[in-house]
Amino acid sequence: MQRRDFFKLSFVASAVALSTSALASSTRQPIDSQKISTVAFPEKRPLITYSDRPPLLETPRDAFTRAITPNDEFFVRWHMPRIPTHTYISSYRINVSGFVDKPLSLSIKNLKEDYEQVQLTAVMQCGGNSRSAFSPTTSGIQWGSGAMGCASFKGVRLKDILESAGMKNGASWVGLNGDDKPIMDKMPSFVRELALHEIKDDVIVAYEMNGEDLPYLNGYPVRLIIPGMYADSWVKMLSNITVSKEYKELFFMDTAYRIPDNECECETEDNLVSKTKPITTMNVKSYIGYPTSNTQITANSNVLIKGVAFDSGHGIKEVLISLDGGKTWEKSELERELSSHAFRVFKFTFRPKVKGKVTIMAKAVNTLGEAQPFAHEIEWNHGGYKYNGIDSVTIKVV
Amino acid sequence: MKNLILFIMLCVATLSADYRVPVKVPSITFPIAVDQDFRVMQRNCQWCHSYGYVLNQGKQSREFWHKVVIKMRDVFKAPITKEDEKTVTEYLFKHYGNKKLK
Repeated sequence: MQRRDFFKLSFVASAVALSTSALASSTRQPIDSQKISTVAFPEKRPLITYSDRPPLLETPRDAFTRAITPNDEFFVRWHMPRIPTHTYISSYRINVSGFVDKPLSLSIKNLKEDYEQVQLTAVMQCGGNSRSAFSPTTSGIQWGSGAMGCASFKGVRLKDILESAGMKNGASWVGLNGDDKPIMDKMPSFVRELALHEIKDDVIVAYEMNGEDLPYLNGYPVRLIIPGMYADSWVKMLSNITVSKEYKELFFMDTAYRIPDNECECETEDNLVSKTKPITTMNVKSYIGYPTSNTQITANSNVLIKGVAFDSGHGIKEVLISLDGGKTWEKSELERELSSHAFRVFKFTFRPKVKGKVTIMAKAVNTLGEAQPFAHEIEWNHGGYKYNGIDSVTIKVV
Repeated sequence: MKNLILFIMLCVATLSADYRVPVKVPSITFPIAVDQDFRVMQRNCQWCHSYGYVLNQGKQSREFWHKVVIKMRDVFKAPITKEDEKTVTEYLFKHYGNKKLK
């Protein structure tokens, strides 16, 4: 049975195919060509579906030929089982409280009318995107590489909101709480904390995504946007902003979404590192949108390889393509940069002459000179975070 | 199936900016293993998440699944009894295990 056929058999077969020999840690290409569900979620077209409660949806590979990911293909990741639907949006409030002079209760109308409106384009990527690359299998959903997307967001600077509430002397942490709810009362809710100095001008509270209201499953009516950072900090359905003097201990800050605090950010299953740090900024990465695996190409026809590259905001310098397993590399053509935080589309034309399999690899290099490593060079961490291996797609020339 | 897709399309079509019609996230049936311990797993896990959440963790060791069950009880406050803790762990390892204890 072909691997691809196997995926067609079962709705969630992805997990089953992930059993590992797990002798030593060895990283490989993340899973690919997962089955797309027949069921569409609200405002989404059918996507790769890992869970309905909480909803976990992944964008298929062929969406990544464009700099902007359409809202109906954008990935979805929630942590809590209960996600309120705000039927009467006029009554939705964002509360600003804690160590401030003037606590606020802001409506969406207030956001749109009382503050300067800001627009920016940025990549949103789950810290566990491509997690299925790691072996031994780590904890967490075994994502392929589609837990990412790039969109244009419109909203208000978090800084401006905080200033209008007037922070008291000594205020140094900002807690951000989403409106999604746990089942059990004592369960930790999804709160993130940012140090005040981390809140730059481009951290915004967004209500619009690609010119439309934020989709329900992407955090309607408002979510936090932190360009360059992994999306675990981009709190959805933002409802409470709490300013404090001291850092509070939180499950989703202190336990989840952390990596080893050493130079390689790596560890082994037998020797877990006790000192950890949050995943924070994204590393340089690229992904081929076309052709997808097992695409059949007629010999001597032109193939236009297209894909996207990004990093944490330094910008992409070049994307290199290899057709010989990574021995030699050629520069691709880069499309216009929408912003230093956006997907940068790369293009490369070639004409396969010999029938058989051809493997296409893409490697991005950012303006700091940081380049993607090969998949097998990436070292293991227990949460399966920050995978950024060179992407690889194998096509058939017929 | 066609009717289901049509129904969902209608739901989406009626979504307006103010969500005057309640948003309904579809319910999906994930193919989970059924044996004599299935119900014990069901009554402990299904409170908070779908079976998809279980199935898409990959094949894991016995220790991994035990730690998951403990985390669900201690961090996420699922009311899992000592006896169910053992049964659910064995169920998960039996069907979604990698044959390794650790």
